[in-house]
Amino acid sequence: MNETLKLGLILFIITAVAASVLAVSNSVTSERIAEADRLANERAKMEVLDIAEEFNTIDEGRLKDIIGSNTNIVEINEGYKDSDLVGYTFNMKVNGYGGEITFMTGVSKEGKITGLKILNHGETPGLGANSTKPYFSNSFKDKSVDNELTATKSPQGDSEVQALTSATITTNAIVDGVNIVRQVYNEKLSN
Amino acid sequence: MKLSKVFYNGVVKENPIFVQLIGMCSVLAVTTSAINGLAMGLAVTGVLIGSNVVVSLLRKVIPDKIRIPAFIVVIATFVTIVEMFMKAYTQDLYNALGIFIPLIVVNCIILARAEAFASKNNVLASAVDGLGMGLGYTIALLVLSILREILGAGSIFDIQLFGPSFEPALIFIMPPGAFILLGILIAVFNSIRNKKASKEALVKEEAR
Repeated sequence: MNETLKLGLILFIITAVAASVLAVSNSVTSERIAEADRLANERAKMEVLDIAEEFNTIDEGRLKDIIGSNTNIVEINEGYKDSDLVGYTFNMKVNGYGGEITFMTGVSKEGKITGLKILNHGETPGLGANSTKPYFSNSFKDKSVDNELTATKSPQGDSEVQALTSATITTNAIVDGVNIVRQVYNEKLSN
Repeated sequence: MKLSKVFYNGVVKENPIFVQLIGMCSVLAVTTSAINGLAMGLAVTGVLIGSNVVVSLLRKVIPDKIRIPAFIVVIATFVTIVEMFMKAYTQDLYNALGIFIPLIVVNCIILARAEAFASKNNVLASAVDGLGMGLGYTIALLVLSILREILGAGSIFDIQLFGPSFEPALIFIMPPGAFILLGILIAVFNSIRNKKASKEALVKEEAR
């Protein structure tokens, strides 16, 4: 019994020291991490809806109202320029080949997709990870929200976007996500 | 034990990847591009040096019976610190390596070095052992990831090497390519080591 107590005590001291070391390094880094996350989000909003100057996050009650039971849409922001509503940005969460992909896309008041940016992903480098490259994300730009988007190798017209070579699952996950945005926009946000 | 010998041991003679073949799952998974390989190698090296030093410092305090949980706590603490700092200062890299950073905790190289070396040797030797093993790991990862990136994506550190007519062999950035290349690398490394060993044996023979 005595030995058990002694061993427990030693282990307790080690874990207590470890915990306090972690507490210190957490307090050093946590602000920076939050700041970096916020900045990345902020920058992405500016990128996917560059006509807007100010953004206003739609609160939870209204968000529930708009998306219903959909779980892919995480956040919607209204974009304003000179206090006029010019469009929306959508934070999306979809399942790719290597786990969750989060991305952001913007839709202008005129019903055009204004941009797409991959925020976080676990896709295969050289294949699905190419979704972060401009040749993929730019192919969504200026597409109308009226037509269902499909991905092809050499996109033409208003409803086709660039497909990623050998990364069908990644491509489909993102294209499906954008199609959900299209639907939600058409049903709830356009008027 | 001479420190230079401890260092050489880690980098070449008992290279964790090419000779000991430990910690392979993360090796196969993260070496898809050179930058990932390098970053993972450095993260592991940092954790390895830190945990080796602390385990060595505590080797007389920690009773034998609870040494494994104590080592794990030390290792997990260092991994979490590395994770926090990577997330705060190198977010792109953190995103690229993803789950493999927290998984350094269960990388057997680190526990193996704590158990086999740091718990029996002084602080300086343990730090050098951590550095040597870490560098050996990093070099192995770097070589493997550079080869995979060149063959599989036609680039190195994200810089395109060839014109648009180059068709990269996709298999090399997929898991099978990792196995094939790693096998070839281990064969090459061992044949060099064997040649050297037999030469040394010959020299000893002649000296007699």
